[in-house]
Amino acid sequence: MRRSALRDSLVAYAFLLPGFLFLAVWVVYPMLKALQISFYDWSILPGQVSRFVGLGNYVRALHDPLFWLSLKNTVAYALVTVSGQLLLGLIIALLLDRVTKGRVFFRAAYYLPVVTSWVVVSLLFKYLFNSSPSGFVNYLLVDVLHVMSAYVPWLSEPETAFVAIYSLGIWKGVGWTMVIFLAALDTIPTEFYDAASIDGAGRWQIIRLIVLPLLIPTVVIVLIMLTFGAFQAYVQVALITQGGPLHRTEVLLSYMYTRAFRDLDFGYAAALSYVLICLVFILGRLQLRMLRSEPVY
Amino acid sequence: MNKAAFSITGGLVAFSMLLTLGACGPAQTPTPVTVRETVEVLVTPTAGPQEPVTITFWHSYNEVSPENDMLVNTVIPMFEEQHPNIRIEPLTVPWEEFLRKLSTSMAGGVAPDVARLDIIWVPQLADMGALTALDEAMPDFDQYANAVFPGPLASNFWNGHYYGLPMDTNTKVWIYNQQMYDAAGIAGPPHTMDDLAGQCAAIKAVNPDAYLFAADGTWAWVMLPWIWSFGGDITDPDVTRATGYLNGPNTVAAYEFWLEMYNDGCFAPVVLGSGIDPFTGLAQGLYASIDNGPWTYPIIQSQFPDMEPHASLFPAGPGGSIDVVGGEDIVLFQQSDHPEEAMEFIRFVLSQEYQLQMAQVGQLPVRPDLIQSDYIANHPYYGIFLEQLRTSRSRTAHPRWQEMDEIITNAGQLILRGEMTPQEALDSAAAQIDAILAE
Amino acid sequence: MSYLARRLLTNASLYTLLILGVVITVLPFLYMISTSLKGPVYVFEYPPRFIPAEPSFDNFVAAWTSHRFDRYFVNSLLVTASTTLLVVLFSSMMAFAFARFRFVLGRALYSSIMIFMMMPAMTLIVPQFMLASRLNLLDSLPGLVVVYVAQNLPLNTFLLKGFFEQVPRELEEAARIDGASSWAVYWRIMLPLSKPALATAAIFSSLGAWDEYVWALTILNNANRWTLPVGIASFHGVFYSDWGLIFAASLIAIVPIITLFIILQRYFIRGVLTGAIKG
Repeated sequence: MRRSALRDSLVAYAFLLPGFLFLAVWVVYPMLKALQISFYDWSILPGQVSRFVGLGNYVRALHDPLFWLSLKNTVAYALVTVSGQLLLGLIIALLLDRVTKGRVFFRAAYYLPVVTSWVVVSLLFKYLFNSSPSGFVNYLLVDVLHVMSAYVPWLSEPETAFVAIYSLGIWKGVGWTMVIFLAALDTIPTEFYDAASIDGAGRWQIIRLIVLPLLIPTVVIVLIMLTFGAFQAYVQVALITQGGPLHRTEVLLSYMYTRAFRDLDFGYAAALSYVLICLVFILGRLQLRMLRSEPVY
Repeated sequence: MNKAAFSITGGLVAFSMLLTLGACGPAQTPTPVTVRETVEVLVTPTAGPQEPVTITFWHSYNEVSPENDMLVNTVIPMFEEQHPNIRIEPLTVPWEEFLRKLSTSMAGGVAPDVARLDIIWVPQLADMGALTALDEAMPDFDQYANAVFPGPLASNFWNGHYYGLPMDTNTKVWIYNQQMYDAAGIAGPPHTMDDLAGQCAAIKAVNPDAYLFAADGTWAWVMLPWIWSFGGDITDPDVTRATGYLNGPNTVAAYEFWLEMYNDGCFAPVVLGSGIDPFTGLAQGLYASIDNGPWTYPIIQSQFPDMEPHASLFPAGPGGSIDVVGGEDIVLFQQSDHPEEAMEFIRFVLSQEYQLQMAQVGQLPVRPDLIQSDYIANHPYYGIFLEQLRTSRSRTAHPRWQEMDEIITNAGQLILRGEMTPQEALDSAAAQIDAILAE
Repeated sequence: MSYLARRLLTNASLYTLLILGVVITVLPFLYMISTSLKGPVYVFEYPPRFIPAEPSFDNFVAAWTSHRFDRYFVNSLLVTASTTLLVVLFSSMMAFAFARFRFVLGRALYSSIMIFMMMPAMTLIVPQFMLASRLNLLDSLPGLVVVYVAQNLPLNTFLLKGFFEQVPRELEEAARIDGASSWAVYWRIMLPLSKPALATAAIFSSLGAWDEYVWALTILNNANRWTLPVGIASFHGVFYSDWGLIFAASLIAIVPIITLFIILQRYFIRGVLTGAIKG
């Protein structure tokens, strides 16, 4: 029995309606509103007129050293934390895959940071990386493990502050990547391993020549999702360094938020957020193209 | 995305616009009018509305603090008893977010009626047109203006009008750890900057990891006492330019002193942004001295009960012992729907009753007639603050003070990080502030 | 070396490495627990100690009783429950439409969902704030819920669609032949068969709502309406932070989520993968 295409469409739309209503009001409309705002020197106080500036805000961004700094910081954060999570997650998944007992325990333990709130872990790492000798990381590295000779003023300097922030970003996400890779590994039939072993291949060779190539589609997906996540970094910077010292640890979103809600410069903030949106879109398309070009196994 | 997706989005936009337009305008809550009320009006004629008016009052006292306790449990009930038709709804907004929340609330049309503002925010909000000029709105304004100290009153003055009245005042004093002094053989707190410099070696001899003094940033609130005590300043008295003052020889000398003490390990590295905060360090025997306001005592009493803080005047430099005035003013917002009732609360806040009650929880009164009262005279620690207040000065009253503060903060950071010499950093800062003052 | 010995060695090194990793992962949490039991004087003592010198539950008592924490907890619960309910319902409805129907603009609409997934949530905060202000949703819990729902719909729709597509059609076909409406198919067949995936969607949206900080921080003023993340962050002051208190409060806040995760781990993981790999 065939249902008419029209009726199908109507029913489908009925199912889509509530969800798309929310999305229309709270995602689509804001998306377009943000674009509009970005073309104005927007004043939010009641009774005040906003001045149209066209591309003025975007031009301002191009000349704004803080914009470039925060952009650079965002990209650096993405590069470091994405590769960190990818590598470590993969390695741990490969290790865990070989283990028969206690898998559930290990999986849960590694996943704990993933389910913990960003607020909690950011404050935690801020405390752990305290600059004084009583800071946990300082104490560990200097007095316990003796891998460093002097205490480091972690959060007083941007370079070292980023070590703390990157560590947090990687620590928080490794479990997530591990889980994804574990499942991907699960889908590799044991016959592959058996056949390779029979042919005399060593463990490492198996991994290199069989497992890794099969994991490439997963790697790409993980890469895409981790990158999206990295560009959205905000809480960790806001709570750990507040973008300081001297605005040197700002990322795009923390800088945008300051402009919007501290300086009430909504137009400029909207322009900044659109730059981020475009960046993310472009990156997304690039990575998706990479995904489609990979042969599916 | 493909064409279809684009047109879909377009359709969704149109749809969502319709939705929003339909929901336009604030929802009106109908005022309940009961028959009983009408009857009461006929039977017992009273002036004014029968229904209690609610006044929202924003402040930055911590949720859990003696100040908030006093406010909510003693002082506000006192007011409400005297004014049965007015209810006060207090709201805690953390200090760090106060200005931000105010701004966004004003934008949303939901600003409070009155607020306890840090004095440095008043010019900015007044300039924005957010505040009501009290000297115009209150017929009895002069009566209250004359009852308070002139310094705190002045913090409400902008562009020819008074936009608030002072609520409480404070300043910083030198606070030290007597035990560390004893162990180092230091007789007493430093009277001059030279004294201070001399103490460093003794403190370090006992514990090389200890510090003589700690402050946790290079904001104006931290640096101004040093600048002023060395005889420097930020701007000329008429606030027209900073060059010659912020980068003048006395200010530079102040920063050079700071830099030297910092490089010698006398002043703690927490000034760069992270480390152990001054209170904890003082209590732990890590910092021999800090400078801070009257709230230090309640904080140390509750968090570090084993430590007994001692206080003295700020060490005197070539310019004297000059500290910075802080405090809060009470202001009335233009957006308020109930200015008359709000002003009743403002009058109450200026009353002896209120001032004396809040004095019990660390809020120095702004009324000279109370300073002679038994309570203040015998207070365990207000004495030193009042003494310091005699020479303390106010920060620049300017709508763009926040920006100026940031410039000063950055200059201090650059200096202490060794990225610029004091003269260079202050030259640059002065130029930036000149640009702001010129507009 | 014999085969057995080699296997044992491999296993030993495997476990050692894995346990090392777990230690590194869990160590910060352990230290957080340790600090939550310390009074302010011990928080930065030198040398820092894992086992507190004078452990006490004072911080926990203080966090729960005096700071209106119970209020924050309840607010978070209300907001999370509402968000999860709405998200699971609406995203499963959308997923059902995408998975089971061929209709005009279907592909385009689904592409738009994918696009929404890529949007960094915070970039919309400015216009969302203005909209919430116009709709009188500022400083309100519903104001949180509506945005959280919108934020969580795309990902969960994506996940559920992937799952729904794999559900065998026989039952549905049979039901339709018997004259069942689409709603009946959705409600009585698809949903009951999809419990693991729904559980996953529920967990994802719960996590999303429970932990969300920035939107809550931006629109909530009155402390009576704060959610846990805002409350916890408020304990961290610019001038002085009571770390023991912060961590005690944090532990109270993360216990429900972690418990949920440990219990529903299996569903969670299976669901994540179905969506991620097949999607």
